[in-house]
Amino acid sequence: MTTTAIPQKAVRRQVTRSRIDWGKIGSYFVLVLFAIIYLGPLLMLVNTSLKSMPEFMKDATSPATQFHWENFADAWTKANFPKYILNSIIYTASATAIYIVTAVFVAFPIARGYIRFSGVVLTLFVIALFLPPALIPQFQLILNLGLYNNPVGYIMLFLVNPIGIVILVNYIKTVPKELDEAAALDGCGYFRFVWLIVLPLIRPAIATVIVLHAIGIWNEIIAPTIYLTSKEYYPITRGLIVFQGVYGSNWPTLAAAVLMLTFPMLILFLFLQRYIISGLTAGSVKG
Amino acid sequence: MNYYFGRGWSRSLPYLLLLPGVLFYLIIALGPSLATTVYSFTDATGLKGAPIHWINLDNYREFLFMGQASQDNFSALGRTLIFCFFVTTIQFGLGLFVAVIINQKLKGRNIFRTLYFMPVILGAVIQGLIWSLFLFPLGGPMAKFLGMFGLSSEFLGGQPSEAFAWVIAIQIWANMGTTMIIFLAGLQTIPSELYEAATIDGANSWQVFQNVTWPLLTPSVNTNLTLNIIGSLQAWQLFLVLIGYRNGTQVLGYLIYATGFGQTSGSVTSSFRQGYAASASIVLFLLVLVLGMSTNYFLQRRERRILG
Repeated sequence: MTTTAIPQKAVRRQVTRSRIDWGKIGSYFVLVLFAIIYLGPLLMLVNTSLKSMPEFMKDATSPATQFHWENFADAWTKANFPKYILNSIIYTASATAIYIVTAVFVAFPIARGYIRFSGVVLTLFVIALFLPPALIPQFQLILNLGLYNNPVGYIMLFLVNPIGIVILVNYIKTVPKELDEAAALDGCGYFRFVWLIVLPLIRPAIATVIVLHAIGIWNEIIAPTIYLTSKEYYPITRGLIVFQGVYGSNWPTLAAAVLMLTFPMLILFLFLQRYIISGLTAGSVKG
Repeated sequence: MNYYFGRGWSRSLPYLLLLPGVLFYLIIALGPSLATTVYSFTDATGLKGAPIHWINLDNYREFLFMGQASQDNFSALGRTLIFCFFVTTIQFGLGLFVAVIINQKLKGRNIFRTLYFMPVILGAVIQGLIWSLFLFPLGGPMAKFLGMFGLSSEFLGGQPSEAFAWVIAIQIWANMGTTMIIFLAGLQTIPSELYEAATIDGANSWQVFQNVTWPLLTPSVNTNLTLNIIGSLQAWQLFLVLIGYRNGTQVLGYLIYATGFGQTSGSVTSSFRQGYAASASIVLFLLVLVLGMSTNYFLQRRERRILG
């Protein structure tokens, strides 16, 4: 039986190979179909941003014939973009900077066991992921500190990120411990060692944590809605929502506004993609 | 463990430098998180200096048993579960399907992967606005597409159930990339010898998937299921951006926000019922806990059965 079955199969495979590979065609069909679902909304955004309002109302999907670049200038000034973007940059940069510096000095001694109960401390950080949402008491805290509607209070909210600590701890464990001993023998102090030697060695993990944390702050919409009431403090996400409230029916201008924010993010994404991916998959494959 | 960086006071340096990070964490995250339980037994408002009274279980009694409001709460709870169910199953299924396809050695697969993963960087506001435009009811692309089949929809402005379904779809669109990436990472750990062996044994592609890919993918299956379930139970940002607080569409997360901070964003009013919102947070927390734990229990059992 088996001796006859093998040649038959070999023959059949040769035949199918010379024919059309339906599996491959099917795969590409699925990929292109999904690509349309992912690209479609973006193309619509680009197209709409180039049309005039009457054109859009007449036929929303027709391709733009004359390019109405003035939509972008319009949106830029009307939406108060420069101010909002500056706010977003300030919040994202300062919170991320403070966070990453404190996080490294939390993660390093935990990974090395240089503090007592380092396992307990790490568990303490992880446990917050499984506890009730902190929304209400957090608000009461900020309110009673007098930091409601205050950029400082807003930045404070983003000085914590337990997942980042876990990623850093895991990465620091791959740095050989002999390095600590050697540096110490050469008279290098603890702070200098972490800052000048460990930090450059764990750059990939630092980059991942920075990217994940910064994206989270940049895209945050609930916190600014709760904590910031003055327009002068709005980050760009909140600014966009307000702009939508006022110019919601003028899709060409709104689309131009959205596109001006989407485009740089997409460019950034192409560069940062691998850091986001390594952050997401850290530890997830091994379980 | 051995500490090399000196003795005496310099031995305390790691503790001193650790302190800021731990303090931030305790003050901003862990403390408030635990305090939610305490607040849920009070009548706290969002007003500075307003007195706070201990009212025992009144918030829970009101949330669960008082007339129309509690019925609305239970509908929101039910909707949260429906949202979780559809988002988890569809996103899981599509993510796996796409990952298996992309994992083949096809030309241009990196482009497709990047494209599907792209929405994660955009965030809820941009995702929401882009889709509001795509779902423009008066001759937008989706309206025209449905029109080709003689269908019509008012999308986000239509019936609550219809708007709700669209939010589910957009939530999946936005997050399928993450599921796919985690599956892809899992697929890449499966040794290719196993596939070769299975093919030599004459297994067809479905059998290969069933007997090689699926069991060996167990770690990423666990991660994705857990992440999707917990994530979708707590997700409501897209509701905020796409339809606002509208009857018949609220999920628990949004309900907590709306009762705690007023339905309209921004202005502080005395109608902030933060004690009540805290009790709703605890209800959501218990839901996440029960579903998360039981999922984990079944996944662990399954893992032991499959991987030994």
